[in-house]
Amino acid sequence: MTTPRPRAVVIGSLSLFVVLFVVLTFEISANASTSKGTPKAKTTVKARPAPTEAQTDAPEPERQSEYAEPEEAGSEYVEPESEYIEPEPEYEEPAYEEPEYVDPEVEEIPPVVTSSS
Amino acid sequence: MTSISHTLSTHGWWIVSRSSGIVAFVLITVSVMLGLTMAGKPVRDPQFAKNLRAVHEQTAIAGLVAIGIHGLGLLLDPWLKPGVSGIAIPFTLGPHTFWTGLGVIAGYLAMLLGLSFYLRRQIGARLWRKAHRATIVVYVLGLFHALGAGSDTGSMIFLGFAVATAVPIAILFVYRLGATRRNSERRRAGVRERARATSRALYDTV
Repeated sequence: MTTPRPRAVVIGSLSLFVVLFVVLTFEISANASTSKGTPKAKTTVKARPAPTEAQTDAPEPERQSEYAEPEEAGSEYVEPESEYIEPEPEYEEPAYEEPEYVDPEVEEIPPVVTSSS
Repeated sequence: MTSISHTLSTHGWWIVSRSSGIVAFVLITVSVMLGLTMAGKPVRDPQFAKNLRAVHEQTAIAGLVAIGIHGLGLLLDPWLKPGVSGIAIPFTLGPHTFWTGLGVIAGYLAMLLGLSFYLRRQIGARLWRKAHRATIVVYVLGLFHALGAGSDTGSMIFLGFAVATAVPIAILFVYRLGATRRNSERRRAGVRERARATSRALYDTV
């Protein structure tokens, strides 16, 4: 019985590598073709989008809306009742009394006579 | 239809990394299994033990090479772009930061413990043997890394392989622990017997 040579391990490892490489390549290609070019996460591929055939020609994928479109306001909106009551004016305009006109007394001033030569 | 060539151009390095990661896991698993089998000494045939040791060493070296290719494939992946720091520093590469970090640590430990075999004369056979026992940690970390961060954890073939190898490795590890205890007890008994014989001989001469 001879000691096993490393060749067997090297050939076995390389064979396994090649088989896995080919299988994974075909799997990823198949997944990409079934997803029809949309960058969709696959079940076997974590956190990586599948390759697209031609990223420039591919139609813009419809993004699944992750946020809800806000509903139109008004259906459930109830306008709050106005609690504001306009205060009654407390200002009373004073009654206008017409002033009695008193003719001012004019003092008569005697004319000043000047002598002229 | 997406062509193979396009897949290879966009995903080529990633496929290299995935394939080499699986190959590395298989090789390290086989190597650890053989190492535990050798340590438990279930067969006393020296030629068989020699063959086991040769395959153990070869699978370990091939596993280290596969780990290197696994890291290189990730480094060259144009989509992930991890950079040297993402590959070399644990817990820096997302999206599975924790599980990827375990993988990086497992890689370092594998290199350290595996290559220390060639330095055992310098570091001392006893110390090397003690350190080499920690290789089981590489397997455990690698298993968790593969299950947590691997893209093929959903594959039944991979899961089947992981379970089918984890169970015998656990049994062999327990057997090895028992063998180590038995050996140390035997050694202690031998020392005790020798001491008794020496004291008896001294008593007889006196």
